[in-house]
Amino acid sequence: MFYAMSFPPILVLGSIEAIRPVFLIVMGLFLMIIAWRLCQATTGWTARMIAAGALLLGLGYGLIVPMYHAGIIRPYMPNRPELGDVSTAMAWHAVKILTMNGGWLIFGIGVAMHAKLLGKPAPRRVLAPASRHNPPTPAPHVSPARSRH
Amino acid sequence: MSLLLEVVIKNGLLFDSLGILGIGLLGLAAIRLVRRSQSWGGNMMAFGAILLLFARLYTVLAPHFITEDFLAKIGPLGISLTIGLPPVLLTFGLAGIVWGLWGHERWLSEEIR
Repeated sequence: MFYAMSFPPILVLGSIEAIRPVFLIVMGLFLMIIAWRLCQATTGWTARMIAAGALLLGLGYGLIVPMYHAGIIRPYMPNRPELGDVSTAMAWHAVKILTMNGGWLIFGIGVAMHAKLLGKPAPRRVLAPASRHNPPTPAPHVSPARSRH
Repeated sequence: MSLLLEVVIKNGLLFDSLGILGIGLLGLAAIRLVRRSQSWGGNMMAFGAILLLFARLYTVLAPHFITEDFLAKIGPLGISLTIGLPPVLLTFGLAGIVWGLWGHERWLSEEIR
């Protein structure tokens, strides 16, 4: 209370407690913009998953988490019902759980599809061209009976 | 209480695990991008995903192992770390993922051009 009264509002906006929500809002918006640009290079379900995940994450990081930080939404504490309206807190808690986790899941699946992680695995190393023309000579067959001295 | 709300609240751990699964997939995809196409953004994305994964795992698991005895054992420095470290990891993890995604998007657009 004292800090809020003694500093002009622009400095309050720059304080450590206020920077994190602002940072989260900027990151959420930035994530949506980059995902939209990334979608232009991809097509089909990959683009849809990335866009849907980024929209959910943008909603979560850009709106819901900053509202928690700002004190507009009270955190859900089932053990302390005296803090406020429990049903409202519970509804927002459910929205937060669905938005953040669903966003990360869908976005992760989208980026994994973009990286072709879920398809067949890529070859780990490319065979040298020389090995096609000069196939390695097969190892001479050594029978177990002969190798035993 | 409506049924949907009840399901979501009761299965919070399940939904949290789905979110952690998504972050893990993101990290694996980032590592795959680095190995397949030498996109520098993938490194940063993988770094951010690992930080975020640690922080989310801690947030989910903390209520199960943090007790009064545990807090007394780790001392004041440990208690400060349990309070201060998760937000730092969450912040830098998110920043790493977004920065890495930006780098990968730039690399991709240069590759297409």
